[in-house]
Amino acid sequence: MNPLAAPAGNQPAPALLALENGRCFFGRSCGALGEAFGEAVFNTSMIGYQEVVTDPSYAGQVVALTYPQVGNYGMNARDGQAPHPALEALVVGDLCRTPSHWQSDEALGDYLAREGVVAIEGVDTRALTLCLREEGAMRAAVSTEDLDPESLVERVRASRPIGERDLVAQVSRGQPRTIPARGAARRRVVAVDCGEKAGIMECLAAAGVECELVPWDTPATSILARDPDGVFFSNGPGDPAAIPQVTACARELLGQVPLFGICLGNQVLATAAGASIEKLAFGHHGGNEPVMNLLTGRTEVTAQNHNYGPVFSSLGPLVPELSGGVAEHPGDLRVWSERRIAPVVMNPQVGRVRLTHVNLNDGTPEGLQFLDARAFSLQYHPEARPGPTDARYAFDAFVRLMDGDPEYLEQGRA
Amino acid sequence: MPRRNDLKKILVLGSGPIVIGQACEFDYSGTQAVKALRREGYEVVLVNSNPATIMTDPDVADRTYVEPITARSVAGIIERERPDALLPNMGGQTALNCAVALAQEGVLERYGVEVIGCDIDSIETGEDRALFAQAMGQIGLATAESGIGTTVEECEAVAARLGYPVVLRPAFTLGGAGGGVAHNAEELRAIAAEGLSLSPEGQVLVEQSLLGWKEIEMEVMRDSAGNGIVVCSIENLDPMGVHTGDSIAVAPCQTLNDYELQRLRDASLAVLDRVGVACGGSNVQFAVNPEDGRVVVIEMNPRVSRSSALASKATGFPIAKFAALLAVGYTLDEVLNDVTGATPACFEPSIDYCVVKAPRFAFEKFKGASDVLTTRMKAVGEVMAIGTTFEEALQKALRSLEQGHQGLDALGAGLSDDELADRVAQPTPERVFYLEEALERGWGVARVAELSSVDPWFLSRMEDIARAKQRIAELGLGGLDRGLLLAAKQLGFSDEQIARLTGQRADTVRALRQVLGVTPVVKHVDTCAGEFEARTNYSYLTYRAGGESERRPAERPRVMILAAGPNRIGQGIEFDYCCCHAARTLHELGFETVMVNCNPETVSTDYDTSDRLYFSPLTFEDVMDVADAERPQGVVVTLGGQTPINLARRLSEAGLTVLGTSVDAIDLTEDRERFAGLLDELGVEYPASAVASTVDEALAAARTVGYPLLVRPSYVLGGRGMAIVYGPDELAAYLDEATAVSRGHAVYLDAFLEDSVELDVDAVCDGEDVYVGAVLEHIEECGIHSGDSACCYPPFSLSGALLERVRDITRTLALAAGVVGPMNLQLAVKDERVLVIEMNPRASRTVPFSSKASGVPLASVAARVIAGEKLRDMGLPDERREPGHYAVKESVMPWSRFPGATVVLGPEMRSTGEVMGLGATFPQAFAKTREEISYATPTSGVVPISVCDRDKRAIGPVALLLRAMGYELAATPGTAKALRAAGIEVTELRRVRDGSPNCVDLLRSGEAAFLINTPHGGAARGDGEKIRSEAVARGVDLVSTMSGATALVQALATRGASEPVALQDLA
Repeated sequence: MNPLAAPAGNQPAPALLALENGRCFFGRSCGALGEAFGEAVFNTSMIGYQEVVTDPSYAGQVVALTYPQVGNYGMNARDGQAPHPALEALVVGDLCRTPSHWQSDEALGDYLAREGVVAIEGVDTRALTLCLREEGAMRAAVSTEDLDPESLVERVRASRPIGERDLVAQVSRGQPRTIPARGAARRRVVAVDCGEKAGIMECLAAAGVECELVPWDTPATSILARDPDGVFFSNGPGDPAAIPQVTACARELLGQVPLFGICLGNQVLATAAGASIEKLAFGHHGGNEPVMNLLTGRTEVTAQNHNYGPVFSSLGPLVPELSGGVAEHPGDLRVWSERRIAPVVMNPQVGRVRLTHVNLNDGTPEGLQFLDARAFSLQYHPEARPGPTDARYAFDAFVRLMDGDPEYLEQGRA
Repeated sequence: MPRRNDLKKILVLGSGPIVIGQACEFDYSGTQAVKALRREGYEVVLVNSNPATIMTDPDVADRTYVEPITARSVAGIIERERPDALLPNMGGQTALNCAVALAQEGVLERYGVEVIGCDIDSIETGEDRALFAQAMGQIGLATAESGIGTTVEECEAVAARLGYPVVLRPAFTLGGAGGGVAHNAEELRAIAAEGLSLSPEGQVLVEQSLLGWKEIEMEVMRDSAGNGIVVCSIENLDPMGVHTGDSIAVAPCQTLNDYELQRLRDASLAVLDRVGVACGGSNVQFAVNPEDGRVVVIEMNPRVSRSSALASKATGFPIAKFAALLAVGYTLDEVLNDVTGATPACFEPSIDYCVVKAPRFAFEKFKGASDVLTTRMKAVGEVMAIGTTFEEALQKALRSLEQGHQGLDALGAGLSDDELADRVAQPTPERVFYLEEALERGWGVARVAELSSVDPWFLSRMEDIARAKQRIAELGLGGLDRGLLLAAKQLGFSDEQIARLTGQRADTVRALRQVLGVTPVVKHVDTCAGEFEARTNYSYLTYRAGGESERRPAERPRVMILAAGPNRIGQGIEFDYCCCHAARTLHELGFETVMVNCNPETVSTDYDTSDRLYFSPLTFEDVMDVADAERPQGVVVTLGGQTPINLARRLSEAGLTVLGTSVDAIDLTEDRERFAGLLDELGVEYPASAVASTVDEALAAARTVGYPLLVRPSYVLGGRGMAIVYGPDELAAYLDEATAVSRGHAVYLDAFLEDSVELDVDAVCDGEDVYVGAVLEHIEECGIHSGDSACCYPPFSLSGALLERVRDITRTLALAAGVVGPMNLQLAVKDERVLVIEMNPRASRTVPFSSKASGVPLASVAARVIAGEKLRDMGLPDERREPGHYAVKESVMPWSRFPGATVVLGPEMRSTGEVMGLGATFPQAFAKTREEISYATPTSGVVPISVCDRDKRAIGPVALLLRAMGYELAATPGTAKALRAAGIEVTELRRVRDGSPNCVDLLRSGEAAFLINTPHGGAARGDGEKIRSEAVARGVDLVSTMSGATALVQALATRGASEPVALQDLA
């Protein structure tokens, strides 16, 4: 809210955003008072702030929204992705105190204050974005208590890096619970909750899947004991290296039951097959990333939220006869999208692994299919929330995988 | 799929003259398309009858036909050029309609021409309301409940079933022409009758009214592989019921949540799939119920549009260019995003700023017409503004309109609450200002929302502005510290507004800002919210804390070009043409060009046109801010019409170098007394004139100067408030009204040179030499605004000796006034005397026409001169050469948009656009212009004639020729008497007030071929007005001057004799 529009006697408290590289942005508090440390990232979705703010994958992060005016339609009962927000702090240009929408229950600022989330407005979020684009994601803090730039920067530099924090344990829910299918249940699935988004569960339910969510550290034997038709590995915050238990679980399950992973779940399955993980400079956070399904040649506009991703070439050598005759891994995966080829590597642990999806912006891998282990995974978010729904077919694909359809992924937007 | 190699030659159709609902956005899209196709190696043939466009410059397409966009005419061009494919989705509804007609008449099949970019069936599904409703039903999307009527009675029956109010939309018309909201049966009958007559299919859709719902537009692209993206969502501030072209619009959508917006996205892509848009850009319009989120599809257009131009400018994503590439086989993933140069076009732009579009109206020109906004578009232009917040963008947009508002000013302080409530409830051009007044009065968002149905979110932002005004006023300028001054600028307040609120001068505010360091920063429009590096230089200024500017250092000296701002009557695309030429020429000369403009429809605001583009209001403050950021060597003010000319003095005083013609020289020609002094000194003749401040003074002066008189307020824009008076009574009546027009200003009285020939001269002067590029002879006599008159190059009735005198006078004046750059002279020739009416030391409206007709690019020549080059080094062709062809420019009038307005040409300009006809003779060229304006001129039928006494002698020969061509004649009593006296057979009609049979009956019967009706003064007004209005409503060609009638008859005599001419084949 602009200071001139706020009542003269009720001006918001000042706040400070400090970055690891020494940059500071003064602003005004628009959430809870206090301070929070985390990794600064930017999200380019123009709307959908409620879904972003409540997305458990943002645990440990200071999230800046690139669209400057936030909060226009308030917060509603329907669109939250988790009961409570997990992000460390929110950074916006201008926060709306007077939302307007028939479904709105509460203003975003009131919600943040109630949930104890520190937030700052009045920041040149574009300058911040360019800084993160140039120098990569970095540690940051938002404070309404320490307004001394030098001091706050020092404390940011002393804060724990995101890779060293137990974020999954923080957002995964302790008790198993079951989410019924919408209509008759066609399949029963166990979902490993590493910070699951409600939107994914809704999409699985809509595809006729009954889901039993289990805590992130549930062992494979315990999962198999439930005799599921398939197992789902959810999205979640942080570095997959921080959760070796989950990777071990996935390694045991690969080949035993159909598997599907999204985002962190994709990294878990890839790691289980021995892939190395790279950290992207500033990650993908937004709702407009172009991804080609190499099996259909169709491009999907996708929602994404990750800083880490698997390295495709690390999964094994190419199988030339299944990769258009190519034997050497190209430097840029967009070679495959240009040629409409879905290459296959031979993985020593799980057999043939196919690259099914490629990000057209930067050539990062976006989808893997384990041809000999009845599993597939996507780095992006087919449920969107927020974002375009082009990739919703992935949930039907999971059902078709469980049904035994070998061409389960070869479809696009209806 | 890669580029199609089976196609070699592609025919592109433009959209013809600028009319309301179809303006220069199609020049922008068409130019992009042509450039993209040629870059891909295709040979491009272009047809567009509008000479003011950049796309019809001879070096844009390979073959350029400034010819009618009708099936007949285009068939002739197809026969000649034998293109492989036709791209019809760049030229608006005109081009689509032409493509449908070409297909129906079998022309495309006969010559093996493939339609690319869309297909004929999908055009029909998109446009035919019943087919569309059915198709939407099949994919589970709701459309407004509706029924089709082909007669007024059928429409009434449907309305009775749906219940009032209902919306009426005729099928296949431009910008919703002929549509409207009917609240009762009486209104319905009037709108339905008009709609039926305007719809080429004779169909009107009667729809459930969605008044008060939100209106959202989605700009969508799709490729042949089925990939679809939404480029931009646009939300109208005005709820349903106001045409989207007349509404303030905001991008991105502000008040829908992600769930709702994604639902619209899914629906948009499904609509394209279902309608069968093979590839290209389309727009889909939705209504969303603000109380429960229900969605109804309103319409879709399977082509680029005004909205797609806006979306392109709003996001930096060039829809038309990509649509052209998709049409020749590429898919979205194969097309590179220009802005990043590294990522594909197959993504959805994310923007990190707010865009507001505001329409510009011209109701003051159409006395008698209602200014209530409806589903029928009436705006003549628009502006776009970019800000970090909606508040900043809105205030910038409103001051960009150049209509005296410095931002969101309140209007209606003197109104009672009841009166204000009416203004708040009724959508009019000024409503946004009344909303602000209501909020300033403390009515509260809820009450204002209830009255206006404007979403409370927008109103809350406007209330914030109202609250800030109050605080600024309380604090005073001294009370604004750095933080609060920045806060004010972040809400979009101009220095002028702050000055007014604090009782200071704007200069003081500016000075204070500079002292406190409250200056705007440069930000880029990059399609991706900063995620990738932008390679283009498309920028805007905004106020953000921290002051981080993205301005890039320049490698070469910079020149700033001020463009023309929003299109309005009298200042439009012609000036954009000039600015685009200047940008290219100055770039070639080694400068970095910095374009400043706020009109999203234009080519000048394409980031490809100049080295740097600033989307910015053209006010002193905003222009100075750009100058402060860019530090140009100089600024060009003589190519963007009157807008930059009006800024020249202040910019110069603020230390900017005005290039070319000096500020003093501009002043000399604009100051009547100084200019008269110059003319006296040079011995150049001009009409007698006088200035008067009171009625008595005026009457006395009139006796000295002599009647008839051309009278106007001393402070006028585009001939506004001008009139011709024939005697003291008319003068007194005029003065009564004129005082309202210009309170506190004097009135000019000029001798009106009746029956003289008017000339327009376009020339360039470099301070030493003068090049007279074109002398244009007007068809209509003096007294008709030069912008509304038809004209011809070269002059068809003047002697060589007289033309030499015209050139001499031009040379003398240009050198004496000190012009360095373009200039325009308006002259009257009466009895071999040449009199100077007006001189403008800037490029004129006729420069594009003069350039195309003469083959000399005058705007480029002017730009070279401004940059210091000399005319004698340019190798220009001889001024006295005989071109070997005639080119006629004819004006296009918007009468049918303004029912109730006076339908007659006069000294006040009211045309929106122009066409050009080329032929071996003057009549041939004139004949083409009739077809281009799509006046059907039947070869037989009855011609009703009614002329004023002055014209009764001259009508004889015209009537005789018409009889000889087989027309039957009918005339009002006076005219009939004159014709019978000349021995010409004629049916006598009664005066309208005397009952039937009269001229109105004849027009209604459909037997009238065209109408000749010349008005005179006040007395005959009543009848004449009814007759002319009827002709407009029936689409009957109307000639309201004697000279126009003569030209038309000559043109009719040449029917069928003229061939299409490619500009590349001239000279």
